[in-house]
Amino acid sequence: MSTLAVRPIEEYTAKDYKSELKPIWCPGCGDFGVVQAIYRALANIGRPPHEIAFISGIGCSSRIPGYTTAYGFNTVHGRALPIAQGIKLANPDLLVLGAGGDGDGFSIGGGHVAHVIRRNIDMTYIVMDNQIYGLTKGQLSPTSRPGLQTVSSAHGSMESPVNPLLYVLGYGAQFVAQGTPADMNGLAKIIEEGIRFPGFAFINVQSPCVTYGQEDQQLKAQKAMMQTLESMKHDPGNRLAAMDLAQQYGEKLYTGVFYRNPTPGPTFDGLARKRQQAMKDQVKSRADVLNVFKLVK
Amino acid sequence: MNTDLVIGMAGSGGDGIVSAGESLLTAAALEGYHGVMAKSFGPQIRGGESSFRLRICTQKVLNTGGTLDIAVALNWDDFLKFGGELPVSGNTTVIYDANTNVAPDKIPLVGVTPAEVLMVPIEQIARETGGSDRAKNTVVLGLMAGWLGIGKEKMLAGIRKRLAKKGAETVDKAEKAFHAGLAYALEHPLKRTRTMAEPEKPTAKFVVDGNDLCAAAAIVAGCDFFSGYPITPSSEIMHFLGREIWKYGGTMLQAEDEIAGIGAVVGASFAGKKAMTATSGPGMSLKTEMLGLATIAELPLVCVNVMRGGPSTGIPTKGEQSDLLQAAFSAHGDVIRPVLAAISAEDMFPITIEAFNMAEHYQTPVIVLSDQEVGQRKETAEPIDVSTVKLVERQRPSEKELERYARFRLTESGISPISHPGMKGGNYLASGIEHNEAGAPTANGEIHAKMNEKRLRKFNPLKRRRDLFIVEGSPDAPLALISWGSVAGMAIEAHRILVSEGLKVKLLVPRLLFPVSEEVYQDFFLSIKRGLVVEQNHLSQLYRLLRMYVDVPRGIETLAKSGSNPFTPMEIVDRMRQISLALQRETQHVPSEV
Repeated sequence: MSTLAVRPIEEYTAKDYKSELKPIWCPGCGDFGVVQAIYRALANIGRPPHEIAFISGIGCSSRIPGYTTAYGFNTVHGRALPIAQGIKLANPDLLVLGAGGDGDGFSIGGGHVAHVIRRNIDMTYIVMDNQIYGLTKGQLSPTSRPGLQTVSSAHGSMESPVNPLLYVLGYGAQFVAQGTPADMNGLAKIIEEGIRFPGFAFINVQSPCVTYGQEDQQLKAQKAMMQTLESMKHDPGNRLAAMDLAQQYGEKLYTGVFYRNPTPGPTFDGLARKRQQAMKDQVKSRADVLNVFKLVK
Repeated sequence: MNTDLVIGMAGSGGDGIVSAGESLLTAAALEGYHGVMAKSFGPQIRGGESSFRLRICTQKVLNTGGTLDIAVALNWDDFLKFGGELPVSGNTTVIYDANTNVAPDKIPLVGVTPAEVLMVPIEQIARETGGSDRAKNTVVLGLMAGWLGIGKEKMLAGIRKRLAKKGAETVDKAEKAFHAGLAYALEHPLKRTRTMAEPEKPTAKFVVDGNDLCAAAAIVAGCDFFSGYPITPSSEIMHFLGREIWKYGGTMLQAEDEIAGIGAVVGASFAGKKAMTATSGPGMSLKTEMLGLATIAELPLVCVNVMRGGPSTGIPTKGEQSDLLQAAFSAHGDVIRPVLAAISAEDMFPITIEAFNMAEHYQTPVIVLSDQEVGQRKETAEPIDVSTVKLVERQRPSEKELERYARFRLTESGISPISHPGMKGGNYLASGIEHNEAGAPTANGEIHAKMNEKRLRKFNPLKRRRDLFIVEGSPDAPLALISWGSVAGMAIEAHRILVSEGLKVKLLVPRLLFPVSEEVYQDFFLSIKRGLVVEQNHLSQLYRLLRMYVDVPRGIETLAKSGSNPFTPMEIVDRMRQISLALQRETQHVPSEV
């Protein structure tokens, strides 16, 4: 969020980002905590809601933009990232957030993750990872553990889960963090840090499904097993150390910033703006485009 | 003297066939002639067969004509691969390279004796003057300059300009090759003269193709964002905008796939910018879910489909009009998405502008159908006066409306003022899920019915846009000729021939294909007893689309062919003559029974 420094910070509270819509989530769903953490992070940053675009795909968690007062776009399954990138490139002054579930981000839309990282578009992508398809009533998801029995895997899953943290680190993501609604302060903090990072930020949230999830994935269990990376003295500037820790996904629950590039690279949106500035004097009006064609006389 | 010539040439990819055709067209245009040049290729990236069909005329033309007046074969294998795309008749002058070692009476053309067959040592002249066989195309240009009597100085100037970077020696060799070709032509006059008459009223012209003109029109229309994925034969639109759009403050994103390409465009439109994507058949199939999203979220965008042979990969390098029904009915749900089609490369300019205006006004995706011929053929076009172009912007909410803003308000027109991120007070949730007037998601059947009705009703005025139809001929004519897209250029010419023969034929060319403008067709069909719908697809897609919405007279027949099997104006004329005779027989029969 490179434009923050020059903007006067108005006084906003978490309430200013909460819409009147009542969530469709089941009581106790982890996503309630995620949206609360987002309200808090946005209040700390202080951008007015109308300067924020919040884009999601399809799934329980993808309902989330509607529960904020930002400009929201609840799109189609797996395509939050391309749409969010179009928005950021069309208006780089906006604060752009993307969100969705693990199915949205790593199954149907998995192909887009590599490319938003490659372009380093300045936006924050929050995946609510619950290791299950909740909206369609309990099928296997790309992060489901091996052997898991569900309505679509009556005899147990025969697949290995995707590791979202290693996935994005492998593609070169410059900001990678993990949080859980079991630690609201920690979650709000990493979301705020992600938004403030000048480039693409990825945040994996262990957001449990109370209806179809496993007992050991619920908030109570998470609270008992989570370890903050800060307490482990992890250096977030060390990418290899981050990858090493990320390998424990599914076994351990580490929270905090895995990796933050100490010298962030250029963003596509920033480079586009530079190119536009550099080339604008070549033309006077849009009619000049016809000069490209040889007018034969 | 000739006023209208069709030249076809074929060879291998490395022979510079297309660049020769472009040189000849440019030189002719510089001298005031009109022309259209279609290119056709085999599937290979390098070294496959390659051809052009160039029609040069003293007046405006809309198609590449019928059988060839001059056929040039650098080798017979490649020439024959184009089959009906390079048709030879008894009136054709056939020129071929002596290096093929085929005697003039043994050339492998089946069932036809051309007017004249000339074996020319093209490669030998190229080696002796230009120093290599790469100069074969330049020798052919010299031959054409001699036999057609046009373009000598302009082509030489073109050669100098094009080869300047390669040094004086290269330019000198090329000039020698050209002059040698020219001298050969002057020493060997054709039995049937192919000398061109002076052009009528020479005017300044562009030489353009449809893809480039589409991209330029997008910039003029105010397009600030383009995203697409490479696909033949539409990629040139992306190439052009990748070079130019930045100068106008816009952005081009080469997306990771077809879905992301249109996805980014949906996003840019949501952010308040005019945005476009372009693709061809397979890409269109992938984009359909996003078209549905843009329809329900009521977001303007332009999606260009430069059609090629389908289904699936089909024939990527050759055109077909087989995506009409897909364009009209792609993506699920009860939907109207406007579909426009250009009839020529030149027509891509007004059609693209119209597409942006329509998209912005109706807050909808608009599909522009072009095809490989329209997209990639070169043609002479009249100068464009940008000051006459009218642009439409989407309706924004007023300050008063923003006080209690409802994005999808049920208005009388069905069009609701649209805000965008950054606009204070306009905050709303856009969604693919059904929503109420405020944008809140809903599963309520009554709201769904009302919203569907609003999203469909808003297009009613579009059905009365008579300016998007070309109608020619006497209003009470009993015979109809209907066509669309690139093939319409053939039908328009056929219609003029038929009228000059005294047949009472009305012509109808829709440039707005969907929604079907029932009133326009009903009025047109009032006097019609018999007629023909001409289109380049196997299923007669326009004919079937019309039958779905309009009472099409039973006497309407179809002339429909799969892609890369070209039509000729005379083929349409012949069929219409038969239909006219059938009508006469039928009508004369009636009194004897009474």
